[in-house]
Amino acid sequence: MNRLQESIVVAFAAAVMICLAGASVTAQNAVATLNLPRTADGKPNLNGIWQVLNTAAWDIQDHTGQLGVPPGQGVVEGNEIPYQPQALAKKRENYAKRMTADPTETNCFLPGVPRATYMPYPFEIVQTPNHIAIRYEFAHALRTIPVNGSKHADGIPSTWMGDSRGRWEGDTLVIDVTNFNDETWFDRAGNFHSDALHVVERYTMTNADHILYEATIEDPKVFTRPWKMSMPLYRRLEKTVKLLEYECVFYLQEERYKNAPFK
Amino acid sequence: MRPSNSLIAIVLFASMARAQSARLPDGQPNMQGMYTRTGVKGLESEPPFNPIDPGEKNPLSVSNRGDGLGPYPRIFGEGGNVLRGQQARAQRPTGIVFPADKKLPWRPEEEAKRRQFLLDMNPPKDLRHIELNSRCALPGPFEGEDGNNPYTILQPPGQVVILYDYNHTSRVIDLNRREHLGKNIRLFMGDSIGHWEGNTLVVDTTNFNGRVAYSREIPYLSDALHTVERFTVVDENTIDYEVTIDDPQLFTGPWKVAGAFSKVSKGVESLEFACAEGSQTLQNIFGTPPTR
Repeated sequence: MNRLQESIVVAFAAAVMICLAGASVTAQNAVATLNLPRTADGKPNLNGIWQVLNTAAWDIQDHTGQLGVPPGQGVVEGNEIPYQPQALAKKRENYAKRMTADPTETNCFLPGVPRATYMPYPFEIVQTPNHIAIRYEFAHALRTIPVNGSKHADGIPSTWMGDSRGRWEGDTLVIDVTNFNDETWFDRAGNFHSDALHVVERYTMTNADHILYEATIEDPKVFTRPWKMSMPLYRRLEKTVKLLEYECVFYLQEERYKNAPFK
Repeated sequence: MRPSNSLIAIVLFASMARAQSARLPDGQPNMQGMYTRTGVKGLESEPPFNPIDPGEKNPLSVSNRGDGLGPYPRIFGEGGNVLRGQQARAQRPTGIVFPADKKLPWRPEEEAKRRQFLLDMNPPKDLRHIELNSRCALPGPFEGEDGNNPYTILQPPGQVVILYDYNHTSRVIDLNRREHLGKNIRLFMGDSIGHWEGNTLVVDTTNFNGRVAYSREIPYLSDALHTVERFTVVDENTIDYEVTIDDPQLFTGPWKVAGAFSKVSKGVESLEFACAEGSQTLQNIFGTPPTR
């Protein structure tokens, strides 16, 4: 072949590949569109009971097993959390006293976001066109999320679970969460944040029984840059699965106050 | 006002009270929106003396003390003022509607136990005699709020979900399920299965844990409790409510209470109502527990 012929062949091959690639992308879209369960208003139908299958509740980063701590690959993209130097010292201090200082495990306090997602308990998404609720089995935590274009509320006290506002970006549910207090940790390993925490969650259904969950973490008082966690959420497929009650506070009181009164 | 702790509640904008279509895509009558409830905690004709809450006009009532010296900080009752004046309007007599004389059919020995239980609540004899609301536990279906803290109803396909502003409580009523959970699964909120009869949602609930109160005067119901609730959509703004309480361990027969839910006319949003996170109630009552 001369150079001209070669060029023609290469161009033709490229064109074929582009066509094939294009067809393949279109096919994938068609398949995805067909496979996703959808609500009457055309959104992916996230209703149901979901749970993670990972060890982020113990440590969101890569970690080796210990007594009572299942080993796990982390959920932080790139594994490193960009702490400012002082914050890193604080994280290490938290880790050292983690058995007694984690507000969620020690006192059964509300776990915050995104920690509520990867606690080792299921949660239930309740989806309607203008409002989505997420009910968590742990401590009956509940988020009510307007999906109506409203803005974050101004001038309200800080909260444990944050102020959530949802919107759809194509087939992805995006929830912007602000107005946190500084009292929750991200895990039992002492990873923490301040009241400047801003979380952007993305729920992207990949098929009927899986959601890709991503949470971008921004906190200029603690980190040098935003960072991201991601993990699959698995639909609980047991035929009769129901969200039950894990009344952590009640159980803790039964233990601490079983011999009350003390005075 | 019910006790509980660390109240951050309610306020502001939004637009839940809007015109809505009568039927949802899955065929359910549409009763979505934010409501206040009234009448459900109807008093008996002769309620026993309750040292915890002897009644609004009784100066001994700790829950109504204006000086803030009761066991519950005065902030309780201060959070929901946006909703004041928007209390639900019932379409018929509320409270106990059966038996007609409002005398509950207590088994005599259980009535005696209840009276003793109430007396043992102030001062609380032990942890068992502390109201669940003071412990920030799930309150059961009835001990939510008749008053300021509203309820939001969402209806995804096949379910009716009731979100309480009170203590981030919620209930799911499944419409496509026939069988209750196994009898060894016990719940504060019970296990609810519902179906629609015309404009009435009929809800059958079992699997209670024997800990939840009906009201301050009825501080517990047994784990044999079986309730049937009827939520009837009267109009766009009103739900008529009736519950039949069937607890053969405590009563010789069922009794019924009627109430109503009215849609909140001015838009408000649910905000976080944390409870255990700020609570000092048990320490204040019992002293500090020994360190573990």
